[in-house]
Order: sequence, then C-alpha cells, then structure tokens
Amino acid sequence: MSRILKFRVSTMLLGVLFAAAFMLTTAFSPSAQAKPIKVGFSMALTGALAGGGKQALEAMKIWRDDINSKGGMIGRQVELVYYDDQTNPKNVPGIYAKLLDVDKVDFIVSGYGTNLIAPAMPVAIDRDVVFMGLFGMNNNKKWKYDKYFQILPAGPDPAVGFSYNWFEALKTFKPKTIALLSADAEFARNLKEGAVKNAKAMGLKIVYNENYPPKTADFTPIVRAVNAKKPDVFYIASYPNGSAGLVRALAEVGTEAKAVGGGMVGLQFSGLMAGLGPNLNGILNYDFYVPEPTMALYPGATELIAKYQNKVKTEGLKTDALGYYLVPWAYAYLDVLGQAVNAVGKIDHEAIAKYIHATEFTSVVGKIKFTELGEWSETRTIVVQYQNIKNNDLQQFARPGTRKIMYPLDIKTGTPQTYNSLR
Amino acid sequence: MLQRYRFEIGCVVALLACFLITQVELNRFYYFAGFAILQYVLISTAWNILGGYGGYINFGTAGFLGLGTYVAIAMIQWYGAGIIEQIIVAGALAGLLGLGIGYITLRLKGVYFAIATLAIAIVLETFVNNWDYVGGAAGVSILPPRTPELLGITIVDRKGGGIFYNNKEWLFFLMGALAIASVWIARTIEFGKLGRGLNAIKDNEEAAECMGVPTLKLKLIATVISGALMGVAGAVFPSYLTFVDPPTAFNLEFAVNSLAMPMIGGTFTWIGPVVGSILLGTVQQVAIVTISSEINLLIIGLLLVIFVTIAPHGIVGWFMKKNK
Repeated sequence: MSRILKFRVSTMLLGVLFAAAFMLTTAFSPSAQAKPIKVGFSMALTGALAGGGKQALEAMKIWRDDINSKGGMIGRQVELVYYDDQTNPKNVPGIYAKLLDVDKVDFIVSGYGTNLIAPAMPVAIDRDVVFMGLFGMNNNKKWKYDKYFQILPAGPDPAVGFSYNWFEALKTFKPKTIALLSADAEFARNLKEGAVKNAKAMGLKIVYNENYPPKTADFTPIVRAVNAKKPDVFYIASYPNGSAGLVRALAEVGTEAKAVGGGMVGLQFSGLMAGLGPNLNGILNYDFYVPEPTMALYPGATELIAKYQNKVKTEGLKTDALGYYLVPWAYAYLDVLGQAVNAVGKIDHEAIAKYIHATEFTSVVGKIKFTELGEWSETRTIVVQYQNIKNNDLQQFARPGTRKIMYPLDIKTGTPQTYNSLR
Repeated sequence: MLQRYRFEIGCVVALLACFLITQVELNRFYYFAGFAILQYVLISTAWNILGGYGGYINFGTAGFLGLGTYVAIAMIQWYGAGIIEQIIVAGALAGLLGLGIGYITLRLKGVYFAIATLAIAIVLETFVNNWDYVGGAAGVSILPPRTPELLGITIVDRKGGGIFYNNKEWLFFLMGALAIASVWIARTIEFGKLGRGLNAIKDNEEAAECMGVPTLKLKLIATVISGALMGVAGAVFPSYLTFVDPPTAFNLEFAVNSLAMPMIGGTFTWIGPVVGSILLGTVQQVAIVTISSEINLLIIGLLLVIFVTIAPHGIVGWFMKKNK
C-alpha cells in the first residue's frame, strides 16, 4: 500500500517538476519574451510609381520571410508595417509620424524614389533614427544626416555617377557632338545635369540641351528637332511614359545618332519591354541588373529573382512579372539594416549607424560600402544595349542576349553597336 | 451681451482648445492629421466665399495655394524669412493674383469661368517648374529653424524653453488660428453687405445688377479675399512638409477637396465648409493609414454623389430642413 502511495507521490512530483520546467522554459525562451521588431515604411502602391512600389513591397516581404526563417533580428521576428503613400509626398510626413508614434515601429525605411524619401527625411532626423533609402538621388546633400543610407548604386556624386558609365561605353563611337533631352522633372533633370558634366569632361560639343513637359504625348517633333542638329550621340533622361513615347518616336522618325538612350527610366519594366518589343533594338541605356551570365557576381540575386517570379505567378500578383529592376535593391536595403542590427546586437540607432558607416556589406547586389552622406562609395550602374528583340514576348527578356552588358568592362557581354545597325 | 458675442467667444474657446491640445503632448501623428484637417477648413472656407456665396465655381484652388507655397519658399531662399512674414506676403500676393485673375475671368460664367480658373494652376505650375531659384521641377527641401522666435519670444524649443516643445505643435496651433480667422471672416462676409450682394449674384446676376448691386466689384472683392486665404494656407505648407515640388503644391486634389467639402457640409453658410472639411478631412486621414488609397478616393467620390443627390444643400441644409 505504502509502495503504491510512494509511487503515486513520486509520479505527481515528477509531473509538477515537468510542468514547472516547461513553464519556466516557455517563460524565458526568447520567442515568448520578445515582441516582433517592427520595420515601418510608406510605399507607392497606387499613383505614378506604383509599378515600382508594388515590386519593391514583394521583395521586402521575401526578405522578411527569409530573415524570420533564420531567427529574425537579434532573435526577434520581423514584422513589416506599411501604408500606401499614393506616390504623393504630401502624405509621407503624416505616415511616418503614425509609424513612429502610433504603431511604435523600431525602424523606418523609405518608400520608393527621391521625391518620397525627401519628405520623410526631417521626420527621421527629428527622431534621430537610422533611415534606409530606396533609390534616392542626393536626398542627403542638404541635410548631411549621419544616419541616412540609400541603395541606388550611383556613386558618391549620384547625378554624375549615374551616367558616367554610359559615356565610357560610347567612347567606342568617338563622338564629337551630343544632344541632351530630359523630362522637366526632378530625377530626370538631375540626371541630365550630371550628363552635361560628363559630356564636357569628355570634350563633347553640346548641340541640343532641352527639357520636355512630363505630360508630353507626341515626341516626334522633339526627335525631328534633335535630328536637325545632327548629334553624334543622343542622351535622354526620361520617366516611363516619356521613355515609351520617345522609343516609339525614334522608331517612327529615325535618327542618325550612333548612340541613343542613357537615363531612360521605365524601359526596365516588364510591361514596357513587352509593349515596345523590337522598337527597343539599338537603345543604349542604364540598368542595374539583367539576366546575363556575368551578373552572377551578385550572390543570391538569381535565386531571389526566381523566388519573386514564382511568388508573382503562384499568388497571382498584379505586379512586374520579372522583377529585375527593383527586387534585388529593395531586398538589399533591408538586408543591410538586418545585418547591421544583428551585428550590433541591440536596437541602438547611434551604434547601428556607426556600424553601417564602418562596414562593407555583402548582399544580393554585391558589396556595398556607404560614403559619409550615405551614398554608394562607387558607381555600379551598368550600361546595356537592347539587341535581338524579335517580338513582344516577355519571356525573351528573361533570357540572356536581349540586354547585353556594354559596361563595366569586367562584366561586359557585348560591344556597343550603332543604333541604326541594330534596327 | 454674451448672446450677442456668442460666435466670437466660440472662436476664442476654439483657439484656446487648439493651444491646450498642443500642451498635452499627444502622439505627433495627431498633430499631423489635425494640421491637414485644419488646413482644409481654411481652404474650403476660402473657396466658399466665392463659390458658395457667389455661385462662381473656382477650380483654381491649387493655383492660389501653390502660389502661397512658392512665395514662402522664395522668401526662405532669399533671406530666411520667418513664417509670419511668409504668411502675410503670400496672402497679399495671392490676393493680388485673385484681383488680376478675377478682373479677366469674372466676366465669364459657369463652365467657362471654371475652365479659366483651372488654367491658373497649370500656368503657375509650368512657371515654377522652370524657376530654379525655388527648386524648379526638382523640388526643394526646407530646413525649418530649430528655435524660431516671434517678437523676441522663443516659439519652439525642444529643451522646454519655448511656448511649444515641437515644430509640429506650433504649426498645428498656427493653422488652427488661421482656420478660425478664416471662419470669422467668412461669417462676417455672410451677414454683411458683401454676403447679401453675393447671394443676389448667385440667385440672378442680371437682376442684381439691375437692382444696383455692383456685381463686378463684389465678385472682385470675394475673389481677392478667397485667393488671399488660399495663399495663406499655402504659405504654411513648406514648413509643414519640409519638401515641396510642383506636383505636390499644385495638386488637383486641393481643387477637388475644396469643392467637395463645402458641397458636403453646405455651401450657403459659414458652418457648412467647416463641417464638410472636418468630416471629409478626418475620413481621408483615417483612410490613408487604414485602407487602400483607391478605396479612400472611392469614399470621397461616393460621399459627394450621395450628398449632391440626397442632400443638395449639404449636411447643414439637411439638418435645418429636418428641424423646420
């Protein structure tokens, strides 16, 4: 009898011990203690930049899932908190105030593009927090904020660095004269100003230098006016609608310029590439990532893009089907933040900013080192030429050979040819 | 005695409330949202002076507002002007623009007048796009002073030595004061000779002219006051946003909202635009951070359609009819 009682007491004691142990381990395990780390941002999910914004958001979600599967940031899961800024800078300060004060996010990162980074800068400065930017040009020139870092790979002087490689690539044509055209808008005008400096440095004579209103629909008169000046090369800085209009006008009117393009935003988007099809042949333009074999220098980028393309297909997302333009960069600017936070080991914005300044990061866009103003320490824009485009099938742009790399030389997959030789 | 000055006492109480709100250290988001709503009170009240009382539909709100914004920017760029100077000069120049534009366009009526006013915003935006001194098409970042002073008094000091702890609290109070002042002006006009004359113009301009109402003069005065108030609303914008580009300052959204808010609240009285802008402004602010922006715009459109069809005299008109 007493043995049975002893056994029962021992079993009960063991049960209590197990329960206590379980409760203690649960109570002190990091996952139970730690709330998720919130990363807040505004993103252009509607409005003019929605094409890029939606693409960026999906890449950011992939990063969140990736980092969470590896244990999160300093052992805490990561949660993204975001609102649609409607591509309207007016909405941005209020959104960031809500993120910081109501949602109590731990970190803020920017939305997509220079104009939507600018109104968030004072909020970040006011709160003295690390602020990662996605494709901003010279946003920190005026503020000189020590906790701002951005991912556009255009070098320490982005306006000049953006077109530097384009001018290097066209040296093969030995040009003497140049025509420059830009949309009458912020980013494009910055690009053209940088291109003017590069053209002067190269000793080119500027025969045409004009801006066009952003809402221009018919570009044939502009192309004819440029042709009348007989430039050897034609630099264009344009936004997506203008880029498409200019490509069509060039196809219709033609040009004797040996190289055409440079800073045409939008030609990297799947919708425009498929829509313009063979009209793109011969255009020499900037890009950041193309499916050429030499781009393997970016570790993990191919896998990331494959993951993104699969996500778009399986989830039926209405966003860029290929994602070459923005996906690696939207992933990388969060990856840099994640790496820095994990290295510092705590949420200390001062220490994290110092770490980012002092460190060379390796991410899906290769090695990244930031300058004092948070720009890239070296330009990494690539120059591609559209070649061999036969029809309007989107899948041809997912294969090597349609956007061959002309510059930098160490990853080149082709040699620049004159615009008309490829028509 | 108190009954007679009920409205003025209400204005003072509202101003005090604005001040007290800044002293309770709310989440800064509420100051941002509150600023946006109060700015719409000012803009829609200004629009209503000509559009509501006089019946002249003005689509040029963004033009006057943008002018105020860029006058303020030019003054900051020129000599770092203080915000009160910016407001005064921007209001004066926007009023002058109203006089000039009014003289040219007020002979037009209906849709022709609306189109003419819409063109103002386009012309001014194109001008600013090519004026590099104020940032041109690239836009401009404004660095607000960290400890602004007014008549030797420190207004904002983060260390607690000023009236306000933060710039956003100061701007919220300032916008509150300007909105209250605009409502006071609108009410004074409504119950004065100008308001009665504008009402006569709205009902039948030819008949009013025949009865001796100086129609052009009254319309010009209304355009000047309306334009000046819109310019004042724009002058505070650079300090609030700290980055302004032409598409933001001359956004057509201002024209749509300044028209929709009085329509929803009621255009025939001063309280209509106040009710409309508080309602619609709050819905917009909540919608931006809760639901998709497409639905946000849909809500505004639906509200406008519903009120125009069910309550053509707005919320205030609907309540007045119900209480009769």
